[in-house]
This record gives sequence, structure tokens and C-alpha cells, in this order.
Amino acid sequence: MDIVLRAALAYGFIFFLTRIVGRRELSSLEPFDLIMLIVLGDLVQQGVTQSDYSVTGLILAGGTIALMQVAVSYLNFRVKRLQPILDGEPIVLIEDGRVLERNASRERLTRGELEEQARQSQIASLDDVRWAVLETSGQISFIPKQ
Amino acid sequence: MADAPDGIVLRRHRDLAGRQWHPWVRRSLLGLVALVALLALADVFGQRPSSARTTADAATLTISAPNAVRGGLLFQARFTIQAHQALQDATLVLGPGWLDGLTVNTIEPGPVNEASRDGKLALELGHLPAGAKHVLYIEYQVNPTTISRRTLTVELDDGETPLLTTSRKLTIFP
Repeated sequence: MDIVLRAALAYGFIFFLTRIVGRRELSSLEPFDLIMLIVLGDLVQQGVTQSDYSVTGLILAGGTIALMQVAVSYLNFRVKRLQPILDGEPIVLIEDGRVLERNASRERLTRGELEEQARQSQIASLDDVRWAVLETSGQISFIPKQ
Repeated sequence: MADAPDGIVLRRHRDLAGRQWHPWVRRSLLGLVALVALLALADVFGQRPSSARTTADAATLTISAPNAVRGGLLFQARFTIQAHQALQDATLVLGPGWLDGLTVNTIEPGPVNEASRDGKLALELGHLPAGAKHVLYIEYQVNPTTISRRTLTVELDDGETPLLTTSRKLTIFP
């Protein structure tokens, strides 16, 4: 029973952390983000399974996390009011080539980072962007001007 | 102004109407995480040892052990007995809190004898001349499933004659 509770708590805590660190950290893999995402996974494993090396432990912990994921996903799908909490909401970053500084700074995004993301979307200049939207996944969608 | 993409409501997603307070929620929750880390630095969650001394006419007993530990942690309890007068058969009697849900890795130096005394663990240390000092180390590991706040009692006896009694608290976090 203990391992199921630990796995559920670990899922809840990691979900909580990913929601409060901001979306920027979810999509990028800068050195500090690597620490956050990869090392954290290793630390969580120790807290969940501790000295349990059994296959039963693996099934219990893995199954619990999968069930928690389905439950959160189902809640997000069924209860509209929970969507902003569980999934977040998109934020417009650029409109008609103009960077919305207030929105970008809210997500700790600099103009340079927006330009980098635009280049990765084969857009040479932010002036050519009609809309840029920071999605709930942390990715930035660019819609170029026609 | 360009038409907004499908699914984007300008008032909500560009002007952030009704979302002004969201960053403060995030900052507050981050502050909560920072607070937990600060509490950990302040030893709220273990496992820094603290010492407590109890003195009687016959001997002084000093115990050094953490007041808080977490599941799986290794830790040490150190019992220092300073005999003021000769003790024929110094015996440390540890309450069940010192053992329940904990793994004792070793007791050094090994006691002359071990016995159960009313459910407590009696460790016979042997003869201690006046002025002698005996240091007993017990090395522990916390069983991962143990969560509790408990009282740890210790009695120092000469044979079966109690010389002093003391107690301390131990909190075991999951």
C-alpha cells in the first residue's frame, strides 16, 4: 500500500512543480532545465520505490502513475473549469510583428529567445510574424503574415 | 488588427483579462516550496544530532542523536556514560521507541549482554570504575515505511537499580 501512496504523492508533487515553474521550463532543454527535468526524475524514483527492487513494486508504482495520469487527463477533458488549473491557457506573445512585452516578461521570455524560436520556425524576422502564441505545452506557435 | 487564430480569445489570451493575479498564485506556491527548503535548512526535517545531558549522583549520561529523521536515512545515536562512582554492572535500558521501525546496523562496543526487560532492551555494559567514561554507539537505518513521532526513553541502571532516567522525542518523516 505504501508504494501506491508514494507514487500518487510523487505524481501530484511533480505535477504541482511543473505547473508552478512556468511553461518556459517545459519546452526548453537548457542546462538548468536538464537539472530540473532529469535529475528530478532520479530523485523521485528513490522516494517512490526506496529499497524495493521487486517487479511487484515496479508494477504498483508504474500502474499508479499511469492511473493518476489518466485521471488528471479525464478531469481536464470533462471539467472545463479545471482546464486553466490543470493545463494552463495560451498566451499571445506577438501580434502583427509587435512583441507584447508584458505577456513575454510574464513568462520570462526575452526578445532574443523569441527571435531564436522564430528562426527555428524558418521565420527570419519577428516583423514577419502575424501571431505568436505560447501554448500550454510550452511550445511557441508562429503564424506568419501572408 | 489581424484576426485571432482559432481558439484564441484576445481578451483572455492577449489582454490577460481575469488572469492578472495568476503570476501571484505561482509566485506564492514557489514561495511555499522555498519555505519548505528553508525549514529543511533549519533542521526541521532532520537529521542534525542534538545532545542532551542528564546527571545523577552516580553518573552522567549524555545522548547525542537526531530529533528528526526521514525514511531510509542512516543515523547514529551516541550514549556517553561518565561514572562518578563505581558501577558494578552499568546497564542502559532503551525503550521500544529506540528500536521499533528502525534497523539497528550495529552497536559498538558490543555490550556484555543483551536482554529484554519489560519489553525494553537492556544492554549490560559491565563494570565501570569511578571516573571512567563509556561511549556506546548505535548505528541505525530508518525503515522506509516508518512514520511516527515517538518518545525515546533511556534508563541507566546499576544492575537492576535505576540511577537516572531521561527521554527525548524523535520525529520520523516519510
